[in-house]
Amino acid sequence: MAYAYLFKYIIIGDTGVGKSCLLLQFTDKRFQPVHDLTIGVEFGARMITIDGKQIKLQIWDTAGQEAFRSITRSYYRGAAGALLVYDITRRDTFNHLTTWLEDARQHSNSNMVIMLIGNKSDLESRREVKKEEGEAFAREHGLVFMETSAKTAANVEEAFINTAKEIYEKIQEGVFDINNEANGIKIGPQHSTGGGTSGAGGAGTGGAAGGGCC
Amino acid sequence: MFRSRSWFGASWGRPRNPHSLERLKYLHNILSKNTTVSESNRGTLVESLRCIAEILIWGDQNDSSVFDFFLEKNMLSYFLKIMRQKCGDYLLSNNHVNSIIVHKFDVSDEEVMAYYISFLKTLSLKLNNHTIHFFYNEHTKDFPLYTEAIKFFNHPESMVRIAVRTLTLNVYRVQDASMLRFIRDRTAAPYFSNLVWFIGKHILELDACVRNDADHQSQQKLDDLVAEHLDHLHYINDILCLNIPDLNDVLTEHLLHKLLIPLYIYSLTSESARRPVTSSPYNRDNIQSIEVITRNLEAIIKGKCSDTPPRLTYPIQRMESEEETKPSVSCVVALFLLSQVFLIITHGPIVHALAWIIIQSDLSVFEDGATRILEMYLSKAKTNIKLEFSKPQLSLEKALETSGQERDYTTPEYSGSKDFAYDLDKDTDLSSCDLDPELVSTSLPSTSHISETSSIAHDSTEDLVTQIHSVKPTAVTAVAQNMPDSPLPDSGIDSSSSKTLSELNNITDEEKQKLLGTMPSTSAEKTMTIESILEKENREIVKRPFLKTVLDSLDCSENDYRALFALCLLFALINNKGVNTELLDTLLCPEVDDTTSKVTNTDSANTSNQDEVCGDGNSQQGTPARTTKRPMQSFNALLINKLMAIANLSCKPTSKVRLVTCELSVRLVRVAMQGASGVAGARHVAAVDALRARAAALARNFYKCDDIFLDMFEDEYCEMSKRPLNVEWLCMDAAILLPPTRTPMSGIAFTKRLPSGEMERARRAIRTFFLIRDLYLKLTGKPETQLPLANPSPFVQVGEVLDLNDSDLISCDIIQKDGTWHHRFLAVDNIQIILVEPDKQKMGWGVAKLVGSLQDLEIQGDKDDPRCLQLTIHKPRVGSSGALARTVLLRAKFKFDDHIRSMAAKQRLTKGRTKARQKKMQQIGRLLEVSGISAPSMAQRHRPLFTRPGLSAVRRSSGADSDETERRLRRPSGHVLKDGIVVYRERTTSRESSVSRSSSTHGSRDGSPRARSEDIPLEDIRRNMAIAATPVTVTQSQPSTSTQVPKAVSMSSEETSFISGEAPRHKRKGIVETI
Repeated sequence: MAYAYLFKYIIIGDTGVGKSCLLLQFTDKRFQPVHDLTIGVEFGARMITIDGKQIKLQIWDTAGQEAFRSITRSYYRGAAGALLVYDITRRDTFNHLTTWLEDARQHSNSNMVIMLIGNKSDLESRREVKKEEGEAFAREHGLVFMETSAKTAANVEEAFINTAKEIYEKIQEGVFDINNEANGIKIGPQHSTGGGTSGAGGAGTGGAAGGGCC
Repeated sequence: MFRSRSWFGASWGRPRNPHSLERLKYLHNILSKNTTVSESNRGTLVESLRCIAEILIWGDQNDSSVFDFFLEKNMLSYFLKIMRQKCGDYLLSNNHVNSIIVHKFDVSDEEVMAYYISFLKTLSLKLNNHTIHFFYNEHTKDFPLYTEAIKFFNHPESMVRIAVRTLTLNVYRVQDASMLRFIRDRTAAPYFSNLVWFIGKHILELDACVRNDADHQSQQKLDDLVAEHLDHLHYINDILCLNIPDLNDVLTEHLLHKLLIPLYIYSLTSESARRPVTSSPYNRDNIQSIEVITRNLEAIIKGKCSDTPPRLTYPIQRMESEEETKPSVSCVVALFLLSQVFLIITHGPIVHALAWIIIQSDLSVFEDGATRILEMYLSKAKTNIKLEFSKPQLSLEKALETSGQERDYTTPEYSGSKDFAYDLDKDTDLSSCDLDPELVSTSLPSTSHISETSSIAHDSTEDLVTQIHSVKPTAVTAVAQNMPDSPLPDSGIDSSSSKTLSELNNITDEEKQKLLGTMPSTSAEKTMTIESILEKENREIVKRPFLKTVLDSLDCSENDYRALFALCLLFALINNKGVNTELLDTLLCPEVDDTTSKVTNTDSANTSNQDEVCGDGNSQQGTPARTTKRPMQSFNALLINKLMAIANLSCKPTSKVRLVTCELSVRLVRVAMQGASGVAGARHVAAVDALRARAAALARNFYKCDDIFLDMFEDEYCEMSKRPLNVEWLCMDAAILLPPTRTPMSGIAFTKRLPSGEMERARRAIRTFFLIRDLYLKLTGKPETQLPLANPSPFVQVGEVLDLNDSDLISCDIIQKDGTWHHRFLAVDNIQIILVEPDKQKMGWGVAKLVGSLQDLEIQGDKDDPRCLQLTIHKPRVGSSGALARTVLLRAKFKFDDHIRSMAAKQRLTKGRTKARQKKMQQIGRLLEVSGISAPSMAQRHRPLFTRPGLSAVRRSSGADSDETERRLRRPSGHVLKDGIVVYRERTTSRESSVSRSSSTHGSRDGSPRARSEDIPLEDIRRNMAIAATPVTVTQSQPSTSTQVPKAVSMSSEETSFISGEAPRHKRKGIVETI
């Protein structure tokens, strides 16, 4: 299907935080409670619309590949967006965020948009991590934050779409070099590379710089 | 969805539980009734297939009978039938999973490709010794999961490439002997040769990017290219780390012969060796355009020159032909890439071979023996793997396609190689060895092999390339494994053909004789002066083209562009676990006379041989008989000389040496000076001491009694101790690949560019001083006692209980921006500002609620209200634990009782700040040997804040229940406590006292340790206790007190009772008595 842009995402976080479920909920609108440790769901794609433009999101699940340094490295670098997920009912998954973030920051390209997700918000009674804590962590590290439930689908769409919006804005600002596929962004087949978009991006940058000077 | 449709069997009720064997049976029934896909049943079928998959996953964990049923009914065949109908493709196989794998999907559709490769990757994650047999057919030698996947190893989509790499690693780690043999025999050569070829192509692209981007325009692209190269190296390292010997041998061989030596190492020599005459720094690499490179590549791709052994002509001719045919990268890029190799890969056979070539190989590589080599080539007409960077002649896919056919599984280039066990039929004498482990132990090299090798052994002018080239059967592997002192387990195996070994070392008998002859003079040399040693080393280095390039690159007189990479390479080389330490002694140990022991080792290792084939009796391990002593040619003095030159240049005001270069060279200087013994000689220490003096002189230029210098000084120290140089990270930064720049607008970190402006020059000078001072201390084994700049007394900790009887305290209200409000007492020490609240249990004592350093204080008056001050307290910078970005501890409006108190506070704080900073500046002055600053002198002039004479430390009490009696006993006698009124006495000689009413009569400002009357009127502590008691929450909300919350709460309750008891006294507030 035709699209203006393709954004590649990765989902990271401890095991059992619901990464695959988020993916399944987003791409298939289903929730699968009985789930092997990530088998089968390794990849998903869905089309969304931002600013009247068709944007295809490709989500690559990276679970099970931590054993090899070369693999984790490359995954981070190839993505334009990352969902960093923890489980609000398990404090340890929240405590590990720093490590995940360090890894992501070290290996990814500096423009990668990272969204912090507190998953399993439906399990309010078992909550161990306050929403405020997630917010504070996100603020401190410059992330976008959201609590979701892959089970009830609450905020799942928003999480993926808001991340896409932020990437889209960065493209508009000219931050991303969209002609460089290593960034995890691809221009759609019908989209002309040379003309409009990059021109607009350039203008955006110029404008911002000008504002700064004055 | 299909509930409404009755045609699929009313007799089968739909089981309720979605995950059960019953449900699977029910779905099986649906499939069996709907074998043909039509419009009407399409939806049903899709949902059924999905449900089956779900049940299988569930069953995998919960009910094994599910999978049994699935197999029993051969349900996968339904899947396949349905798939075939949809795709119109007809495939026959009774191996259904593999049929799906080899199904010709439309991989041009990116989504199909993504799902397909994810599917393969998922399967690979499930591989183990058991499941491998579902995918690998031992009898038919068929492993579609692997062979199909690796066809996409160079797919344009990065996620696909990553998936392929993941899959291959998952396959390799299964460690199934039969499967691995298949991998090695049928796929390793084509896969690795293609992998290596694409890495090389990628590097040429990187090189072109560097050449054409003097203006830093394509930093991002360069970033990606560098990151991609790192990905490749990490991938290779991940494979090597799985420790699969057969695979590693093949991979090692391809890497060394097809990439690392021909492309990386030879690029290193472009100027010094290939053009010995014109030693212009502008070698052809700098001039050579991308067009030439492209042309070269094209030529190779077309095979135009691929039949010509690359190094058969004499140097001059070769030079010309090379320009046409041989791709290479610039020296800078080569040094950078080799650094990455040594930083990432630790596989002994690779890194040791590379290190050996760089350090030991001599000029014969370029100049001599070409004719003989040519003859050899002709006579043998062998088709060994050529030592060059060239394209595999068959595409990977082609190679794999034909891999079923006899002998065609490798590229033609490899088909005649003797390096592979499966290639037994071929090529005369050279094929006598193979790598098959079972065969290795029993087979012997053919006699022709031995005679051939021995004849070569006498050729002292053997071309290294050809040596490696012609190295026999086990060829490459043998080369790698038998490098001198190779850490490989099999390196100790003796061989009848010790020659390969000595070839590699370029130690021929002739040479040995020569060396023996020169022995006496060598030992005489040990008494030589440093100059003569240097001279000799300079003479010798000419004979080592690669090492010479590396050492020559350390020259920073023009700039440090290349030097940085040479340093990285040396650092990586020295720190690589896979490189044998004795090899490094060439660089790290001075030439010693009693080389006997060391040399013997080296030599015996050198001569110990390598042919693994020879397991027979005459092989002596380590050949102890051959203890020919060869004095080690050391380049230690030369290396130190070059490194010290960099350090010396760093100490010049106009130096073009970046901080990172300075730091790295200083680190290496230390290693080189300490040598094997770990102790630097007196001469070295003296040299470094002189260097330190120069660095101090440089920093002294910027030493002013200027506020900013102190801040910069502490900042730089903090930064340096916090972020020690990480060379691995440094080599991940593509920005250093571009010529050094000055402007911070490039976005390049300060240490990786030249200083821009006076401020940055000062910072650079300070940092250089730290680095060199550290070197000096470490070499001499002295501990660092002066850095970080010490505070005369330790800081009070928040929460500490202090005896404030007879201290100067100013009552104030602290109002923060957000409106929060606290009441506190302000106390000022020599170095710190302390905000306390009264201790509810002990009269006259207070709990520190916030402690800041005076040095880091900003004081501003308030225009609107003379009673107010605006204070900003920053977190102190203390060594590596200090805050890097200045963190604000408190920014608030301090409201005093009246403007006099406000002024008093202001003066006291301002004075305290100035003094604290002056003291630190004096410390710096002493460090930098600024004339006129000698021993610490001012210390006595500062009286401690707290009233205990002679006790500068504040009394601390960690808990409220600590022994009060003891504390009381130690109370100073001079305090005045009358009738519940605290009287404050000022003993300072400081100027701020003049503000007070009575101090105006005192002319003397200093030198008097005697108590002076003081006047800054301060508050009755108890009044404020009462105030403090009420807003307990205030205490808690103050930023620095969070850890104190429980204590504060408990105290407040006690306090309440205390206050109620003492209530009447409240009225006597504000009375001040002067003594």
